[in-house]
Amino acid sequence: MTPRIPLPTDELNALGLPDTSTLAPALASARDQLRRAAFRMRSVDAVTTELVRIRNARHQSCYF
Amino acid sequence: MTTTWFDGLPAGDTDWGRFAASWPVPFGALAAVVGRAWDATDPVLLELCRLRMATMLGASAELERRSGRARAAGLDETKIAELPAWPTSARYAADERACLAFAEQFVIDANGVTDEQVAELTRHLGPEGTYAFVQALSAIETFQRACLTLGIATMPDVDQLGAPEPEPSEVSTSEKGSR
Repeated sequence: MTPRIPLPTDELNALGLPDTSTLAPALASARDQLRRAAFRMRSVDAVTTELVRIRNARHQSCYF
Repeated sequence: MTTTWFDGLPAGDTDWGRFAASWPVPFGALAAVVGRAWDATDPVLLELCRLRMATMLGASAELERRSGRARAAGLDETKIAELPAWPTSARYAADERACLAFAEQFVIDANGVTDEQVAELTRHLGPEGTYAFVQALSAIETFQRACLTLGIATMPDVDQLGAPEPEPSEVSTSEKGSR
């Protein structure tokens, strides 16, 4: 995956994606908290949650 | 209130507040993301795109709200009224058109965003500004789609949602006395 904008570093993060941790850090942190909150919700079972996640990733062409 | 299809919500001042009272962690987290989105971007650019996205998604409640930050930065109702004509209106500058073109494609199909659209955005906002703008757009879109899906028609003001809670030392004596 080639970033479309110049990044401050060529490093990759733990997911193997370009490291954007220095860009808009407060917003990125808030988004991470939201992601964690969503994963902690147990109202929907894990199988359905995973199927929806994968289906949405495919819909968005998000192949990582 | 419009959330009549969703049983068991507690009473509250707004639809958003009623949901947030039931699920404070995820709703608080989403509100925080929206708040940080406004902190990270030009308020006029984000407000124009927020209103344009609301039109495209049919989020009528969002169209009734206004960002105080954007108003303070010079955005007026005359310009907002011309938002549907942004590609040709002389009121819209090149950076605003780049952001609105990007936002429209982002809502229609993010996969369809072109290299040229990103390059144009980056030319106006710079790499860091572009990154923040795209993250902010995503936050606003998530918020609007969540509200539409859940039937949330009333919510706090744009500038109030996701605003950091004041530290106890920042609360004035008079405010303390009124509580």
